[in-house]
Amino acid sequence: MSGLLEIRENIRNFYSKYEVYLIPLFKLLLALTTFLFINASLGYNSKINNPMIVLVVALMCSFLPLNIMVLLGAIFIILHLYALTMECAIVASVLFLLMFLMYFRFSPKDTLIVVLLPIAFVLKIPYAVVLAAGLIGTPVSIISVGCGVIVYYFVSFVRSNAALITTLDSDSAVAKLRYVIDGMLGNEEMLVTIAAFAVTVIIVYLIRRLSVDYAWTISIIVGTVTCVVALLLGDLAFDINVSIVTAIIGAVVSFAIAKVLEFFAFNVDYTRTEYVQFEDDEYYYYVKAIPKNSVTKAKKTVKKITSVI
Amino acid sequence: MLNEERIKLMTKMAAYEENEGKKNMIIGSYFRGDYIELQILKSVASGTFAFLVIFAMYIYYDFETFMQNIYKMDLVQFGKDVLLYYFIFVVIYALISYIVYSYRYSKAKKSLKRYFYNLKQLAALYELENKKL
Repeated sequence: MSGLLEIRENIRNFYSKYEVYLIPLFKLLLALTTFLFINASLGYNSKINNPMIVLVVALMCSFLPLNIMVLLGAIFIILHLYALTMECAIVASVLFLLMFLMYFRFSPKDTLIVVLLPIAFVLKIPYAVVLAAGLIGTPVSIISVGCGVIVYYFVSFVRSNAALITTLDSDSAVAKLRYVIDGMLGNEEMLVTIAAFAVTVIIVYLIRRLSVDYAWTISIIVGTVTCVVALLLGDLAFDINVSIVTAIIGAVVSFAIAKVLEFFAFNVDYTRTEYVQFEDDEYYYYVKAIPKNSVTKAKKTVKKITSVI
Repeated sequence: MLNEERIKLMTKMAAYEENEGKKNMIIGSYFRGDYIELQILKSVASGTFAFLVIFAMYIYYDFETFMQNIYKMDLVQFGKDVLLYYFIFVVIYALISYIVYSYRYSKAKKSLKRYFYNLKQLAALYELENKKL
């Protein structure tokens, strides 16, 4: 264990030393992944399918706030759908507009979940994001998780029905629109998934806050099991096709990811290196403050030796 | 001479001012009522816009039936119903934002209080130094 802790300290030291370069790099990678995923799953618009455009936009994102990236992702989706049919683009625009207007006004920090969740869905490990939301966030994160699920199912609905949507009578725009809205709102699998994830976030959050030993580990285990069981129950109730094997494999992988997250996030305060400068009457101060590394000390065990003479 | 204790305090405060403090200072510059009122007004505006979007989608979704029935139905009653829904929607949304923003306001005030306490301590440290000189 001490070896692992040492590695963690090294990673943290490295991170606090090069934070200035690492954060744009992470943003760039995240933006690249997001846009490439969007292009791979929707690529109807040949203009933005160009990798050069993706690269330029992603480079731009690395210096801009994270929420701009989310906005650009939404615009990418809308542009792709517009190339397919206008009705899909309208529905998507309304969807994103409502999300931005109603919810992200309150908690703009949560938008990351909405980006990560659909990507995790494609990788078959959505539970990892859900567990992370419960571990790091608050119960309010349920709404972000819900938004992420809706975005994923909307995109996958359009993707699997693209041929049908384009062949629908082009005269009746209303019919297309109705088809898309019905397909989105009537998706039982989506509703079951949202419910299961919501329950998971609450349970993980509640258990994590308990003051028992290993609260984080217990909450991860219980959360993973809850999530899979809730999905399977929903599967039974609504007769949707949740693949049990993928669900379980995904859950195991997500469990591992959540454990890694716990290893790094638990007991670590997030105040990282601070560069501050200020002045008083006599001096200018340029201070670089690095938070102390807190390696948990090994517990001392007192061994009592009673000798009988 | 450099005073180590003072520098530590100043560093902490400068870090606060740069990150969390910036937002809290803006919140703290309002009276409680004014801040919450402003946020609720913003919520009502965005809620109204959201309702308009939903309503437009609803009409568009059923456009043909709507156009067929438009001469038959009681438009006044329809208008009243829509207004009622709008009212319920906005009131619930405003209520939620009231709860959220009053919580945020009290949290910001608390953290600013700590900041001002530190400020006082800093002043005391300066005074102490001056006396020594």
